[in-house]
Amino acid sequence: MTELVRDSLDHCVKCTICETFCPFSQVTPLFPGPKYVGPQAERYRGAGLSPDASVDYCSGCGICTQVCPQGVKIAEINSQARAQLWEDRGIPLRNQVIARPSVLGRLGTPVAPLANWALQNRAIRLLAHRLVGIHYKAPMPKFAGHTFQRWAKRHRSTVSRRKVVYFHGCGTNYYEPGVGEMVVAILEHNGFHVRIPPQDCCGLPLQSNGNFPAARKYVRRLIGKLAPYAHDGWPIVANSTSCGLMLKREAREILEVGDEDLEAVSAATHDICEFLLGLHERGELRTDFRSLPLTVPYHAPCQQRGHEIGKPALDLLALIPDLRVIELDADCCGIAGTYGLKKEKYAISMAVGERLFRDVYESGANVAACDSETCRWQIEHGTDVHAVHPVELLYRAYGLDAPVAVGAG
Amino acid sequence: MASLETEVLVIGGGSTGAGVVRDAAMRGLKTVLVERKDLAEGTTGRFHGLLHSGGRYAVKDPAAAKECIEENLILRRTAADCIEDTGGLFVSTPWDDPAFGDTFVEGCRATGVPAEEISVAEALQREPRLHPGISRAFTVPDASIDAWKLVWGCARSAQEHGAEILIYHRVVRLERTDGRVSGAVVRDELTGGELRIHADVVVNAAGAWAGQIAELAGCRVNVLPGKGIMIAMNHRLVNTVLNRCKMPADGDILVPIRTVSVIGTTDTRVADPDELEITEAEVQEMLDEGEKLVPGFREARALRAWAGARPLFAPEEVADTRDVSRSHALIDHRDRDGVEGFVTITGGKTTTFRLMAEVAVDAACEQLGVDRPCRTAEEPLPGSEGGEFYTLGSRVRAREPVPQLQGIICECELITRERLEEAMEWRHTPNLDDIRRTLRLGMGPCQGGFCIYRATGILHGVERLDHLAANESLLSFLQERWKGVHPILYGDQMRQARLDDWIFQGLLGVQRLPT
Amino acid sequence: MTYDTVVIGAGLAGLTAALRLVEEGRQVILVAKGVGSTHLAPATIDVLAVDGESPAEALSKLPPEHPYARLPVEVVAASMEWFKARVAGYRGGLHENFLLPTAVGALKPSAVVPESMAGGDLRGGGHFVFVGLGLKDFYPAYLAENLDQLADVSARGIELTLTHEGSLDLARRFEQADLREVITRQLSAQLEPDERVGFPAVLGLRQAAEVWRDLEQRLERPVFEVATLPPSLSGMRLYEAMSEALRKAGGRILIGPTVVAAETSNGRVEGVVVEQAARSTTLRARSFILATGGFASGGLQLDSRGRIRETVFDLPVAGAPDRPRFLPTYLEEQPLDRVGVAVDKQFRPTDADGKPSYENLYAAGAALAGAAPWREGSGNGLSVATGYAAATILEGAQ
Repeated sequence: MTELVRDSLDHCVKCTICETFCPFSQVTPLFPGPKYVGPQAERYRGAGLSPDASVDYCSGCGICTQVCPQGVKIAEINSQARAQLWEDRGIPLRNQVIARPSVLGRLGTPVAPLANWALQNRAIRLLAHRLVGIHYKAPMPKFAGHTFQRWAKRHRSTVSRRKVVYFHGCGTNYYEPGVGEMVVAILEHNGFHVRIPPQDCCGLPLQSNGNFPAARKYVRRLIGKLAPYAHDGWPIVANSTSCGLMLKREAREILEVGDEDLEAVSAATHDICEFLLGLHERGELRTDFRSLPLTVPYHAPCQQRGHEIGKPALDLLALIPDLRVIELDADCCGIAGTYGLKKEKYAISMAVGERLFRDVYESGANVAACDSETCRWQIEHGTDVHAVHPVELLYRAYGLDAPVAVGAG
Repeated sequence: MASLETEVLVIGGGSTGAGVVRDAAMRGLKTVLVERKDLAEGTTGRFHGLLHSGGRYAVKDPAAAKECIEENLILRRTAADCIEDTGGLFVSTPWDDPAFGDTFVEGCRATGVPAEEISVAEALQREPRLHPGISRAFTVPDASIDAWKLVWGCARSAQEHGAEILIYHRVVRLERTDGRVSGAVVRDELTGGELRIHADVVVNAAGAWAGQIAELAGCRVNVLPGKGIMIAMNHRLVNTVLNRCKMPADGDILVPIRTVSVIGTTDTRVADPDELEITEAEVQEMLDEGEKLVPGFREARALRAWAGARPLFAPEEVADTRDVSRSHALIDHRDRDGVEGFVTITGGKTTTFRLMAEVAVDAACEQLGVDRPCRTAEEPLPGSEGGEFYTLGSRVRAREPVPQLQGIICECELITRERLEEAMEWRHTPNLDDIRRTLRLGMGPCQGGFCIYRATGILHGVERLDHLAANESLLSFLQERWKGVHPILYGDQMRQARLDDWIFQGLLGVQRLPT
Repeated sequence: MTYDTVVIGAGLAGLTAALRLVEEGRQVILVAKGVGSTHLAPATIDVLAVDGESPAEALSKLPPEHPYARLPVEVVAASMEWFKARVAGYRGGLHENFLLPTAVGALKPSAVVPESMAGGDLRGGGHFVFVGLGLKDFYPAYLAENLDQLADVSARGIELTLTHEGSLDLARRFEQADLREVITRQLSAQLEPDERVGFPAVLGLRQAAEVWRDLEQRLERPVFEVATLPPSLSGMRLYEAMSEALRKAGGRILIGPTVVAAETSNGRVEGVVVEQAARSTTLRARSFILATGGFASGGLQLDSRGRIRETVFDLPVAGAPDRPRFLPTYLEEQPLDRVGVAVDKQFRPTDADGKPSYENLYAAGAALAGAAPWREGSGNGLSVATGYAAATILEGAQ
């Protein structure tokens, strides 16, 4: 374990603030809470085999670390303990499978109709529930049938001195290529040349499923693709908040990857909304927005808050005439990447999301906004309200909406 | 005055006394132990927790080294549940002469302490926080040992063999009849009542206080109390015992024990083993020495400091207590002073407590004219029959798979309400510090900040204390805690202390409680 | 983005100052490394824990180095009125302290208290019954026995058997009528007609006011809460109320990033450097309020060599004792207790000569030198009064 992370347990004064915010321990006794499995249990780890399996019920949402006034890296401690646990006990097949979105994507894309049918087929889902341990009700996105990368290869970006690299992540590539097209369109609309290098998974799902060696391999490979641009001073823009956070911090703090390339990539990486708001603050963002007479509840995902940049989406959306955005204050949707897919955790995940679902539902809106793809799928699963990335609203307000398929579901 | 009869009366409830009472009882002798405070409240409960391999003494004190390694191997068999098999390293830091390593290896060979040189890289891989500038490293079979578990294990075993243990019984005087010691008058420190104990032989196992006890029999035993301070750091900075490879000196060892790492120690001759003040200079010295073993040591969180008084026996006057042998000393006062029925066992280490008990009981048997063999080298302590060492994760593992959080009273040490109530009923004491020694209550990072209010409320119910007694339990624990905490209040522990102030003085207002 | 004011710290002092400024139309961002002391301390607004004289009187007798002494008593009173107008359900003022029972049964004088706690006022004596809910943080028999010794007070404890996961869980379950129904049924038969009923302070979180009123109605008598160990449910309600008011009024709250340094020039603070996930950014503003608290929250740090540091601006620290820093007796006032940031009449941190360190930097709350709030019972009172005052002065200066 990195000293940075483990040593932070020294700051814990047992004040319980983390426990008052943990969305998961509030709904299940199976997760003893961030203070318990974090700085407390950590004092009992480190000599011999992992003594506690309950740390696996931590979703890694990271809220505990954000609210801790003492600077304890609680979620990070848990993440590393989980990796040790699975290193000691062996990673279950299911966790190996769901943690490789790019492998699944490559398998599913060419046979999308069949794969999508299978993922919605109750009998098959029940079988997967029993044999693999993926809950039969858990939200599964639909394969788009073509990848964003394929689109990107054919796309000619505007020529400009202002350049940006786009890290789109697996969700965009296999399930929501339309979101990627919108990101590119918005950036180009603002005068950027957008470069989309070939790229693979960042390793985040492997990390949260405790497979650090594989996660490191993936993230190093990705860093290798992005680093030349970062070294040349290109900003990197990401629309997946969790994958962006992997590059910004988690690779360094949790996976302990430490090299110059990562440093450069980290420093260059921006969440798309953070990037656009940055432009606006410098007076460089086009504000030729059309009216969008909608009411949209907005949920900032946990991983977005982990960027510690506030909620730039709110400021951006506030620029759109007639758009009324309701900031939701529910903490977490419950999905936490792959957590809510698991048979034994699905019910917990839905219970965590309950407050958000209710708030979305009660807003009466028929579209909600949220920056993270898995959270959007969970919101749709829990509410039947269509959930979009904030860029989709910007895209429409810019009047860029060509007839592309957007969003999922 | 009430009285009772026994064959052997043991004075002192540290590791030696507990070893003696068990050994004597196992030999079928009727035995009573008296202790002025709680078991292991003195020196035994105030050391760093090292089960010596003997390496520390291999050069300077070969006799002590031999005793240590022999006893180390015996305790691994008989007291496994009290021991964590951490292993130990002797390392030459940039401040130590690498050539001493050769002397060290030579000393180990001569005394039978298994020591093996390993590469610096291997040492650093094993202990990544170790100073990267070390030049040499040697492995030795050091371990850590839980002295409270050990002493209570001995006491329980002794009770099973019919012995009686009287804690909070202070010896007021030794009774002498016709030139022999025939027993003692003891005072119950809780009720004030006195008790006369007739004994055929009295074993003085009062450690650093052995001189005071011997004086009651008119004998002179030159015990020099040597103060050693220790600081517990909040977590396991290392998982192997780290020793500096040099002649014994202040701050030369870091012991991982239970959830903490303990740095020690100093050696200062003091007049009174009950007056052990910790000075700022001593604390700073420990931190400076800690930096040499583990860089960044000053930034790490200290939990608590304490001082113990070594019972160093010197046949004659010496200037420096470090020059006194760490071997034990048995004084048969019949031979030396012509006082029959009185034996003193002192000096030594917790590591060699069993051997000390053996020789003391041998001497007692000789005075009693009986010949019964010692069995403590073979028979394991209760709880250690399985021969499995204690492991760090055991308390967490015991809480799995379904944690009962609402039931956990002391969160740092993971003590459930059930266990706490059980211990309170068994100890039957208004003193929460006794419960602390039994369960390690309040010994974690928050130093009782969260559990002591709870424990007081529970104690009030279990012991049917009236409110004033409960208030006293609470306040005296807070005072006791403060004693250990205030010398090392800085960094994170200062934050904790201030939060604890808010809890006790701000939220609960304990300063306004009736007493 | 440039703000009018950056407030550092999310405790009651920071929240008060930020809300006060936002209400005046200022662009304010409150940034904090984590959630503040509201979640740890009871929500009573203790001004000074004096018994037998009014807090107002006691305020006027404080030594000049006490932070309250920077303020006319009228301003402290105004801050309390301001607070009561913003957070619903508070009673009291500076004329006389309530005398509330603590969880051990000591008496705590407090000036302005939540209505759900006011019923525990012991000044008039009376009959009290304290109800335990199987909570490890509340021992009614012990508490009651200490109170029962007071003249005019009779007190006893009752323990109800309930299965739950602790105070947070209980608070949530109190928001459902069925738990209140069960408790009413179990309790009613055991109560004497004139007894007031005290519960640990876990009576709800978001709907606490309804929970409390409903219990009073069901039990047909005064019901009150007694604050106990963290997490403080009453404090969490206070945080919710204040942060929501702040957000609704247009203030920004940024919880998580650490403020690591300041950018200054010509005696002014230009910005504070905030650490984010991958880099740091500077929040710029015309003025800044330091409300990071004392040692407990990390606003002040004491290092292993005994040096004391204010952690954001590295401001001069006043009141540091020569050794020893601590005395051997726990309940004595410790030499280090009143260390903090000294301020001028405008609540601007000052150097050793009494000159302001920066002309646009203000400080409030537990960071201030001269008080020992946990001892003197001035915690939340000091936060509200100085947060309010610093904001008022700043507003006047701009």
